[in-house]
Amino acid sequence: MSETNRSESQNPILKAENISLVVDNGGTPKNIIAGFSFDFYKGEIYNILGPSGAGKSSLLRLFNRLDEITRGKIYFNGKESSQYNPCLLRRKIGYLFQTPFLFPKTVKDNLHFVDSSLSDDKMTSMLSEVNLGPDYLLSNVDVLSVGEKQRIALARLFALKSEVILLDEPTSALDEKNSSLLLKLIKNKVSAGGIAAIIVIHDPRQVLTYNGEALLIINGKLVEHGPAKELISQPKTESGKSFLEKDSV
Amino acid sequence: MTGVGIENVLVSLVLAAIALAIGYFWKVPVQKNMAVGIIRSFIQLIAVGYALKYVFDLESIWLILMVIIVMILVGSHASYSLSKQVRGAFLISFSAIAAGSLVTIGSMLILKIITFEARFIIPLSGMIISNAMNAAALTINRISSDIRSNSLAIETALSLGKNRRESSRPYRKQAVIAGMTSILNFMKTVGIVALPGAMTGMILAGAEPLEAVFWQLIVVYMLLSSVTISSVIAVELTTEKYFTPYHQLKSKI
Repeated sequence: MSETNRSESQNPILKAENISLVVDNGGTPKNIIAGFSFDFYKGEIYNILGPSGAGKSSLLRLFNRLDEITRGKIYFNGKESSQYNPCLLRRKIGYLFQTPFLFPKTVKDNLHFVDSSLSDDKMTSMLSEVNLGPDYLLSNVDVLSVGEKQRIALARLFALKSEVILLDEPTSALDEKNSSLLLKLIKNKVSAGGIAAIIVIHDPRQVLTYNGEALLIINGKLVEHGPAKELISQPKTESGKSFLEKDSV
Repeated sequence: MTGVGIENVLVSLVLAAIALAIGYFWKVPVQKNMAVGIIRSFIQLIAVGYALKYVFDLESIWLILMVIIVMILVGSHASYSLSKQVRGAFLISFSAIAAGSLVTIGSMLILKIITFEARFIIPLSGMIISNAMNAAALTINRISSDIRSNSLAIETALSLGKNRRESSRPYRKQAVIAGMTSILNFMKTVGIVALPGAMTGMILAGAEPLEAVFWQLIVVYMLLSSVTISSVIAVELTTEKYFTPYHQLKSKI
């Protein structure tokens, strides 16, 4: 769906309006996010790009309300996010950390952690969605590989049935095979479930595999945005060109 | 032997001298501490003895209450000094120790286990407060270090829609257990490994063994009550310090 058509027919599921995050840095205030504004729509993948320390992960934490914005407003489904119960909001805007943590003891325990009413059959089908067999259900999480843990964490995230999913460098610890598998899963979920995925990406080359929209953040500011392929091949701003040249896409 | 005088105490200093001599010949590097400890314990206990005699003779409600408050304040300071890394540790310690002590002593008075007399209230409060103090210090430290070292697990639970109580539940439970370990172990071995202090004291002072046992049982249940209350309150108040009202883990405290 093109951006013009979409904005006419659909309201943003998530909207950031001039948001800032200022933290105390040894007595002096430091801007982590500085006046970021953007509208996110269902059915789209948004790639958040930028150098280390640009504020990409901080932005996801603000959307999940793990941190409080200093200024500005975030709207979820047309309502200011501060009007929601934070725990309820976090179920609507699911977040997968860069280093996923699995709770002890079994995979089943982890899925039950988000929804205790899930039946074994339902959980088995959820595991198959992330390409894991039914025998994984009773596996102890300690014996799983990094790739398997990442997929369990993703299945657990999907169990929330969120309308927006926030993924922080989901493939950073994975090999090529697991990366492409995870990518396929996320793409399927976005197109089938009508959700929005906001993905922090460290390596700009990955943007091309995810496709969708790309947002370049430098020093907490949205420098430029546009269709992923376009932004990567023809950045409009000098800072965009400089960042992408450094990473030699 | 029911009557013991200062001359017996002075003679018993021979035992302390034996310990000092062994320390000297074996070159144990705590001789200075031993000597200071011998003098200090002598002065402190004699002073407390005279103070208690004065309070017991006066039998003033206000004086008894003042003694209890001073004991709680000193206990809170001791607990605070062991858990300074937590902001507000003094107030947390004070609340935990005061609640554990006052609820327990109050219940004992209401249930008519004891009467409001200095000879009951003050020694029992001393036992209660010192145990509550240890429990508070232990639990504050435990929950504080567990929250700090498990921030990823806690934030994962929060990010999945759990509230601050649900996210910190395993660590709160462990901290309460840590605070209660000492009294639970004591209850397991009481009377088997050693006769407890209060009971030994009563028997030495000429009380019937069974009466001493009854008092000891009351002391054990009293300590269990105060330690449990103090541990739970210390854990709950400390946990609150680490979260915002919006169920966010505070990054700095």
